[in-house]
Amino acid sequence: MKKIITLSAPPPSQFSFLSEFQFSLPELRQIQFKSYYYFIYKNLISELNIFPEIFDLNQEFQFELLNKEYKLIKPEKTTIKFHYNTYSSDLYVTCRLLRRKKKIEIQKQTIFIGSIPLIDYQSTFRINSVTRVIINQILRSPGIYYNSELDHNGISIYTGTIISDWGGRLKLEIDSKTRIWARISKKRKVSILVLLLAMGLTIKQILDSVCSSKIFLDFLKEKKKKKEHLQSTEDAMVELYKQLYYIGGDLLFSESIRKELQKKFFQQRCELGKIGRLNVNKKLSLDIPENEFFLLPQDILAAIDYLIKIKFGIGTLDDIDHLKNRRIRSVADLLQDQLKLALIRLENSVRQVMRRTTKRKRLLSPKNLITQTPLIATFKEFFGSHPLSQFLDQTNSLAEIVHKRRLSSLGPGGVTRRTAGFQVRDIHFSHYTRICPIETSEGMNAGLIASLAIHANVNNWGFLESPFYKISKNVKEEKIINLSAGEDEYYRIATGNCLALDQGTQKIQITPARYRQEFLAIAWEQIHLRSIYPLQYFSVGVSLIPFLEHNDANRALMGSNMQRQAVPLIKLEKCIVGTGLESQVALDSGNVMITKQSEKIMYTDGKKISLLNNTNETVNTHLIIYQRSNNSTCIHQKPQVISKKFLKKGQVLTDGAAILKGELTLGKNILVAYMPWEGYNFEDAILISERLIYEDIYTSIHIERYEIESRNTNQGPEKITKEIPHLENSVLRHLDKNGLVIPGSWVETGDVLVGKLTPQETEESLRAPEGKLLQAIFGIQVTNAKETCLKVPLNGKGRVIDVIWISKKENSSNYEKIIHVYIAQKRKIQVGDKVAGRHGNKGIISKILPRQDMPYLQDGTPIDMVLSPLGVPSRMNVGQIFECLLGLAGYFLGKHYRITPFDEKYEREASRKLVFSELYKASKKTGNLWLFEPENPGKSRLLNGRTGEIFEQAVTVGKAYMLKLIHQVDDKIHARSSGPYALVTQQPLRGRSRRGGQRVGEMEVWALEGFGVAYILQEMLTIKSDHIHARYEVLGAIITGEPIPKPKTAPESFLLLVRELRSLSLELDHAVIFEKNLNIKFKDV
Amino acid sequence: SAIEGSNSTTADAPVDEDVLAWTKAYRAENSTAITRDETLKSNAQSALQWKCVETQVEGERLHYGRFAVSPFRSGQANTVGVSMQKALLGEVEGAAVSCATFKNVKSEYAAMKGVEETPMDILVNLKELVIRSDSDEPQKAIISAIGPGPVTAGDIVLPPSLEVTDPTQHIAYLTKEVSLDIELDVEKGCGYRMGDHTKSGDGRFYIDSVFMPVRNANYSVHSYESEPDVTQEILFLEIWTNGSITPEEALHEAARCLIDLFLPFLHPKKKEVTNSATKMHKSFTMSQFNSSAEMSAKEVDLRHVYVDQLRIPSKAYNSLKRANINTVSDLLDYTQDDLLSIPNFGRKSVDDILEALQAQFSIDLPENNPLCN
Repeated sequence: MKKIITLSAPPPSQFSFLSEFQFSLPELRQIQFKSYYYFIYKNLISELNIFPEIFDLNQEFQFELLNKEYKLIKPEKTTIKFHYNTYSSDLYVTCRLLRRKKKIEIQKQTIFIGSIPLIDYQSTFRINSVTRVIINQILRSPGIYYNSELDHNGISIYTGTIISDWGGRLKLEIDSKTRIWARISKKRKVSILVLLLAMGLTIKQILDSVCSSKIFLDFLKEKKKKKEHLQSTEDAMVELYKQLYYIGGDLLFSESIRKELQKKFFQQRCELGKIGRLNVNKKLSLDIPENEFFLLPQDILAAIDYLIKIKFGIGTLDDIDHLKNRRIRSVADLLQDQLKLALIRLENSVRQVMRRTTKRKRLLSPKNLITQTPLIATFKEFFGSHPLSQFLDQTNSLAEIVHKRRLSSLGPGGVTRRTAGFQVRDIHFSHYTRICPIETSEGMNAGLIASLAIHANVNNWGFLESPFYKISKNVKEEKIINLSAGEDEYYRIATGNCLALDQGTQKIQITPARYRQEFLAIAWEQIHLRSIYPLQYFSVGVSLIPFLEHNDANRALMGSNMQRQAVPLIKLEKCIVGTGLESQVALDSGNVMITKQSEKIMYTDGKKISLLNNTNETVNTHLIIYQRSNNSTCIHQKPQVISKKFLKKGQVLTDGAAILKGELTLGKNILVAYMPWEGYNFEDAILISERLIYEDIYTSIHIERYEIESRNTNQGPEKITKEIPHLENSVLRHLDKNGLVIPGSWVETGDVLVGKLTPQETEESLRAPEGKLLQAIFGIQVTNAKETCLKVPLNGKGRVIDVIWISKKENSSNYEKIIHVYIAQKRKIQVGDKVAGRHGNKGIISKILPRQDMPYLQDGTPIDMVLSPLGVPSRMNVGQIFECLLGLAGYFLGKHYRITPFDEKYEREASRKLVFSELYKASKKTGNLWLFEPENPGKSRLLNGRTGEIFEQAVTVGKAYMLKLIHQVDDKIHARSSGPYALVTQQPLRGRSRRGGQRVGEMEVWALEGFGVAYILQEMLTIKSDHIHARYEVLGAIITGEPIPKPKTAPESFLLLVRELRSLSLELDHAVIFEKNLNIKFKDV
Repeated sequence: SAIEGSNSTTADAPVDEDVLAWTKAYRAENSTAITRDETLKSNAQSALQWKCVETQVEGERLHYGRFAVSPFRSGQANTVGVSMQKALLGEVEGAAVSCATFKNVKSEYAAMKGVEETPMDILVNLKELVIRSDSDEPQKAIISAIGPGPVTAGDIVLPPSLEVTDPTQHIAYLTKEVSLDIELDVEKGCGYRMGDHTKSGDGRFYIDSVFMPVRNANYSVHSYESEPDVTQEILFLEIWTNGSITPEEALHEAARCLIDLFLPFLHPKKKEVTNSATKMHKSFTMSQFNSSAEMSAKEVDLRHVYVDQLRIPSKAYNSLKRANINTVSDLLDYTQDDLLSIPNFGRKSVDDILEALQAQFSIDLPENNPLCN
């Protein structure tokens, strides 16, 4: 049953939830949902509404879309597993064909014009069975910006840049001689007069409307002197055309030039858009109507005026990195652009078809005119290859949420990572409470990929807003207001470093506050606003770090980034010390099932949950069972409720990927000690106890997908079969009669998952002419097949959990078969795996000790993990110490702490006091006096597990929440004795996935040279690399047991060099001149 | 405090009081014993005695026991303490589920109808199952439950030699009228053992078995003066077990393991003999191995030494060539008699060859084929 949503005006109630503000956190994926909603209910309709009426050449017929009759078909519900397709909705429009003169309707039809990918409940898109997400772009908002720059001679000039919403940019410059130039799309500069004249103004108009006409007159005089006097619009256009396209010589004005310019510059290249118009009006104090989206001559005149004023010190320069000058291009805008493009293509195609059919005098019908390709192809291309449509990071639930809240400066219309300067990447004061100052990626993209602060949201104009609490003497006036970056500068905002508790006291209380880009100390009475939440300034990832205020920003950055890499474990455990945001992240991640209304649970098991809702309707929801995520981690939902219970709306029904009982659980509470241990934790290495292995504390499930296609070759179709004559039976043992692996079987490296035979050309001899003759005479059809089975790769062993066979229609007769095999692995922690805390304290497992050898506490408990104490002072992430001590207290008291960072506002050293008092409580309650030793608080004497002796120094011990990261040795370990070589250079390939070799680079060669190991060096450069001949000889020599021969010829890279030199007409030869007769003998190179 | 802890690890007050009380009592007891028995008094150290100070069942799966051992000469307590702690943690045997066979289940990564847990979760629960086995042989147990309702360790049908410690231990929850049939293999061992997944299949899953029944062990040493200027030590051992054995049993077991380890030292001579024997054996095999390796290397060499390199007279050389003997190794296949049977090959030529072989390779050709005789 298809449900039809008729698109008309958006239901008003849908937007209202966004305008009500409370102290509670907003839905974390709101930025995605809201924007997509906006697209479907606003942008889609408005774009379809402006679809033009199309006439044929004889102006006889008219084709048009009927307004307000668009339909989106709700896609049929399928289980996610089986739809190897796109989650999209079909768009139907009603269009009609008229006889133009009499306005007689010929035909009216509702036609499918293409499908639009839909956002799902997880705010992702599903394209070709891959989960994708569209991230928001942050870029300079259209408008005009004034700046002072240095020209190439180092003289400062003033510029005004007009940035368009769609198209290139126009830059106005005023130089030291007060001459004004215009630069279009970074091309050669032209005189402003040329531009203005070309835009259709006359000199008189220009002089009339410009306030300081003297400059123009001077300019004109100068021009006159040089005999470049231009008078007419046409001349100016020719001139502009010449300058833009670098055409020299004489050019006469023609209509085509006008058209070309109209098309390239005036029309499309400088569309300001709604926001641009607003910004320009505001900056230049114009009152041009809002719906005038294009740049007008008046704009330029006003811009010039302003530029001249700036030259004389009137007016303000703009800060382009200020958030008021940057806007968010959301999903709605991106999709709207694509839709616009698709509709233009559709329009052209309709026009073409119309022309063709009328020419052939055939009957027209709307159905014949419209094709689905433009829309489908445009959206497919956009979702598949646009840089902002990204493969969703699904390592854990946090990673998903953070990815959806990401802001990118890259992408079309944005900056590029190589040219972006320091200014763009830097933290700007206007980011306050809008963009997180901590979370960004490390390396190339530092500062270009940012994260939305938790309370920030995007307003209708695309600017970032953040809520503040308005303080007033009148309590009734106190409320939460939303301010954008441009607005909050005029308010004094208390930063929340201290509280205003004693309102009654006479003493003036001073608080740090933010006012006009500065931090001041101001009395509370003068404060206008205050922030509503201590974590308001940070993104989701950063907000999950407890004792954040004690960490260095760099380490907090690493901590927030590494939390996203934590692998979901099979036994989850809530953190003892958290910030309280864990539950919000879990709820908003979309990975747990939540009741949509008050419901009664009828039935649960491992597969499904049945709910009975108010209307006595039973709804079955299927759980996600051991499913692969985009990052090969495991997504699994476990029911968390008992049947026959009543639940309210919004209650959690299941656990999810790294979510336990409605809280994000990325790691495990582990007993750690900060001490050196026989050098095994030198340089961030980590020593762990065997307990973490046998108790499955850091065991995770990884599900890998292997894919094979069976295609049609020109020798015939590939066959999927069990009968593979080339292979031994032992590797084929898991295949069923069709040649597919049986689900549930345990497969090891080399085992066949899918048996496939590819028909191959017959033997070499039979391909020769005489062979063909034989074939022709005797009719022998010697077909030989090659085995192209799908085998389990190295380190790929595991349990086959699923085999999916997909048949895709390639063309009318051929079916392309794709087979997916899913293999699940249970991975325990091992030497070489990466683990990290939440404070950027990361390390690699270096040794695993039996529990009786680990250092132990005074009550005999062995330590689980030994970290290096030297990892703390230089990294300045003291938060980890607070966390682990409070964790210890919580463990003994059976308490979980949720501490909002910045608790120092309550009192000085509040964190330390809290930790010590809790430890003291714990030691009192449990009678373990060693928990809090007054002479060294927070430390305890440990005993050496090997000797039973006490360690000399007291050691910091505690329960830290440690995460196992996705960087595991199993995915990285690699060695090669022989393997494939690159075709051109004949050197070993690069990378583990291609069974590549280890590069002996320049510096490694120096090292070998330095040690004087000539033979090893020769081996590295010849027989282990690109000397084909020697490679074979080595093999032969090893087999026969002879000494390895020395290569006599040159390696391939040298030959390549010779060939390249030859192509430069340089001959490099190897010649021998004999002493006796001076004969020259050339040798082959 | 009154007691000087040379290696005082338990700093908490209640224990200290305990120690005081106990040492007092012990001393009193000891002194009476000494007065009664003169032989003991003459001995510098009285016999070691141990005593259970405290036992506590903190839960079905957590038993606690504290033992005191004394008197030790100063320094001895630590020796015993360390080794006992290590033996308790590492050597004590226990039983665990090593394998589970499900009915009608192919993969542990698929949910079952009417069961809240997946086979994977059930395996995790079974791994934690605390079980006591009196037999060293692998045993079988069966879970056969019909829902709806919870399935706990108490529902396991056990052979008489097996016993479940905590019958309330959760295994699965059935939400429907379905049956859950699992066959368990229980084994005994020490330490832990990873399940061999390669053998699994057809609903049979091998579990990582954790045999260790001792959860934790700790010791502390306290010294006291039994007589003026004679310091003696008392050792306290604390043991936490998972309930499958009592702390006392664990103590016995650990001590037995330690004694077994030290027994060989009681027979020094025998040890020597076996040691030298193994050494001899080793050297013998080594030399044999070496010689054979040398031989094979030589043979390889001889294959590449051609007969012309023997510098023998051309008559003999030509005859060899005609008989298709090209290398020295070919030559070695022949006896002297065989050579004589080659046409135009006289005794003189044979002697020449023998001489050349002897001189260059120190090889002799047998006179005739030993196998023929």
